[in-house]
This record gives sequence, structure tokens and C-alpha cells, in this order.
Amino acid sequence: MKPERKKDRRDFVRGAAAVLIGGAVMSAARSRSPRLVWQLDPEKCTQCGRCATHCVLAPSAVKCFHSYSICGYCDLCGGYLRPDAKSRDTGAENQLCPTAAITRTFIESPYYQYTIDEDLCIGCGICVKGCDVFGNGSMYMQVKHDLCVNCNECAIARSCPSDAFKRVPASDPYILKSDRERRIS
Amino acid sequence: MSNAKKNWVWFILIMLLILGAGLYLGKSRRTELGRSFDYSLDDYRKVDPALIRYQELDPIVPAISNLTALALAPENWMYEGSQWVVVGGEKQAQLLPDGVVLDIEGTPSCLAVGDDGFLYAGFRDHIKVFDPKADWKHTRWEVPSEKVHLTSIAVDEWYVYVADAGSRRIWRYRKEGGDPLEIGKKDWAKGIRGFFIPSPFFDVAISRSDGSLWAVNPGHHALENYRPDGMPLSAWEASSMMIDGFSGCCNPSHFALMPDGAFVTTEKGLPRVKIHNQDGELRCVVAAPDQFDDGVTGLDVAADDNGRIYVLDPSRNQVRIFEEKK
Repeated sequence: MKPERKKDRRDFVRGAAAVLIGGAVMSAARSRSPRLVWQLDPEKCTQCGRCATHCVLAPSAVKCFHSYSICGYCDLCGGYLRPDAKSRDTGAENQLCPTAAITRTFIESPYYQYTIDEDLCIGCGICVKGCDVFGNGSMYMQVKHDLCVNCNECAIARSCPSDAFKRVPASDPYILKSDRERRIS
Repeated sequence: MSNAKKNWVWFILIMLLILGAGLYLGKSRRTELGRSFDYSLDDYRKVDPALIRYQELDPIVPAISNLTALALAPENWMYEGSQWVVVGGEKQAQLLPDGVVLDIEGTPSCLAVGDDGFLYAGFRDHIKVFDPKADWKHTRWEVPSEKVHLTSIAVDEWYVYVADAGSRRIWRYRKEGGDPLEIGKKDWAKGIRGFFIPSPFFDVAISRSDGSLWAVNPGHHALENYRPDGMPLSAWEASSMMIDGFSGCCNPSHFALMPDGAFVTTEKGLPRVKIHNQDGELRCVVAAPDQFDDGVTGLDVAADDNGRIYVLDPSRNQVRIFEEKK
């Protein structure tokens, strides 16, 4: 039987030093790796509607973004008007967005500007679908980081059928569609 | 019961209440959006079979990839007895049926072959004119615009018309090049409302009957007729989600003129090919949306002298051919 070795002061110092050095290394490694946040890749998004229903927040932290530099400012906007719209005006029966979160403003004939009211947008993506099919794809979904609580396991990412959610550095938290927007951000 | 025990009972009851409320709220959260959030175009994809009066023949499968442009050449272009088809793709063009591939240094957005035999290729910001009799040597024409984005080219006996979606103009060049004439600048006094082009789909063609210029005004879902000097002659427009019109922000995306003056049109969004009479009334459907892949755009179209229709399908990398049913 091996005789039990008595722990002396040197062993204690060795152990303490190991803990201190390990902690320092871990904290250094941690500070070097960037903080990550969730974001939605617009190229992969299929506008399934789960962003509106699966977010832990209500309404969802996912909102529609609008790239003005891509938008065609169309009168017949596929993102604003229902496919079966009776007329091209702001009548509720003609609007595609069920929460009336898109504002249509006349600029000059025949151009109209479309603005997203973030407070009303619930992230259903129906306008994005319409814009993708008939327009230039200037409307797209993004996680708003002033709203998102950055859950460790994002409930939307878990249910996203197209695997469009991914972790991005918090220093560059948006996947914007146009270069001009990227420069502004 | 002591106060301490009472406090514990109250604490447990409150915790159970909170847990129950949490579970109830968690389960009562809606997992699906209501009917008002449905977006389906299925009804618009359906076409009455009686309207489809064309049948598809075997397609042409070019050897080059990423097809972007299509043109038909005069019947006896290279040698007699063949319907010549020219396709453009990534940095190349191919002449069919003989299969010769030309290296054209750039991806053409549009092609045309003149009666003079020259091949006119429009690139994003310039035009190249290839001479088949001089070993395909080319001359280059510039476009006097900073926003240039060329999308279509059409050639008649005297002029070459180039559609520029970026500047919202048609540039009319003489056959020998030089400074072009500007067509389509908004001028209410002359009745010119200007071109409304939300995305780069802007097509032009020459009328077979009178040689006048036809151009799409895609934001207005209109086809407009101009004299060679740019004065408007006539126009028709058909804006509708239904089969008799054009939908979305930029349709028809391409068109060609049939031998009898009718228009064969292709669309994006709801990809379909139709024929409209000279007054814009729907004549028939050539190909329904379910004959194309979802989301396909860039369906360039041409019609030969016998009324056969050629459609460039970039998603399948083919030239699809449609012939009227007997």
C-alpha cells in the first residue's frame, strides 16, 4: 500500500497557481472570441411565418426591413397590394399586410414609397413573399437587435425549416441586402 | 399551525399558481398564423387548358452555360435551309444549329442579328458589333449615359435600337455607329410619358409590318409604338393578375412580334408565355406557369417567320420551342 503523501504548502501554491493561470487563459480566450447574436440570412429565408409565431417575444423581434436602394417604388407593389386587390390604393381590403404595417406614400407619378411601421410589424413575412415574387426583393426579414433578447437557443432558429438563422458577430449584427445600406450601418 | 409553516404553504401555493399560469400561457400561444396571413398564387398559376394552343417541341440545349440572351437570325444567315438561333451566355455566344462557339469577352444581356448579317451584342454598358465575314472581328459602341444598363437590342434596315433600363431610354444608333439619338425622354407636350422601369427588364422589337419600333413600358404593363425619330404612335396596356393582363412591377419582361403583328410575351413572377392580338386582347396561352421552374426570370423570347416561338429558359439552360397545335 502506497503511503499517503502529506500535502504541504508547496502543493497548495502549485494548485492555486494552476487555478489562477487556467482562469486567466480562459478569460483571455473568452475576451478574444467575439460576442455572437442571432441573425436571419435573407437569401435562405422562405417566409414560412414561424418568425411571427415562435419567437419568445410577442410581437416577434424579427421585423421586415426595406432596402430603398433596391425598391422599384412601384405603383403596383407586390409587397403592399394583395394579388387580388380591386384597386391600387390604401384601402384596407387591398393591403397585403394583415397588420397594416406598411405605409404607402405618393412621391411623383408613377412612384410610391413604402415604409415599414416597426411597431405594427409582427414578422410574418407575407410582404416579403409578395415582393420576392413580383418585385425586386427589396423587402426582407431581419432580427432587430434592440428587441432581441439573444436567447442561447433561439426558439425560431430551432424551428426554422430553411436553416436561415445563424450566429453572427455582435459587432456586425445585420445581413443587409444592399451595399448602400451596409455602408450606412 | 405555526407562522413559518403558513408562510411555506402560501409560498408553495403562489409558486404553483405562477407555474400553472406559465404553462397555460405557454400552451395558449398560437403556433400558426391565421388565414389572413396565407399567401398563395395557386389560383393564378392555373390556366384553362382550352386557352393553351401551343405544344412544346424538343428543346435546343446549347453547349454554353448561364444563358442570358437569345436571337433568331435570318433564315439563310450562314448557309441556306436552317433557322439560325444565337444564344449568349457567360463570356460566350453560340450559333445553332452548327454549334460554333464565339468568345465574346463578356456576358451579353441581349443579342440581335441584322439583315446585313452582323451580330449585335449588348453588354451591360456597351455594344459590340461582330462581322461574320471578317472572322467575327468586332467594333465597340459606347452609350452616353452614366446609369447605363442595356437589356435589349433590335435592328431594322437603317438603325440599331438599344434599350437601356438604367437610363430609362432607348438609344437609336445608325448602322455605322456614332452618337445615338435618345428616345423615351419624358415630354408631355409630345405625349411621351417616359419609361417606368423598376427592375432591369426592358425589351424592344421591330414591327414586321411597318418597321416601327415597339417597346415595353414594364411599370405600366404597356407596349408602346414609336416612330424611328422617337415620336409615339400608339400603345396598349393590360394590367391584371388574371391571364388576360400583366402582373407585378415589371411585366411583360420580354416580348417578340409574330408574323401577323401579334405580340408574344413572357413574364416574371408568374412565369408564362402568352400571345396578345395587336390591340392587346389576349389571343391564347403558349405556356402556363406550371411549365416553368419556380422563380425563373429572363425568359427571352423570339418568333420565327412560321410563327414558331423560341423561349430562353435560363433555369434549365435551354431554348424551348413551341409550335401551334394542328
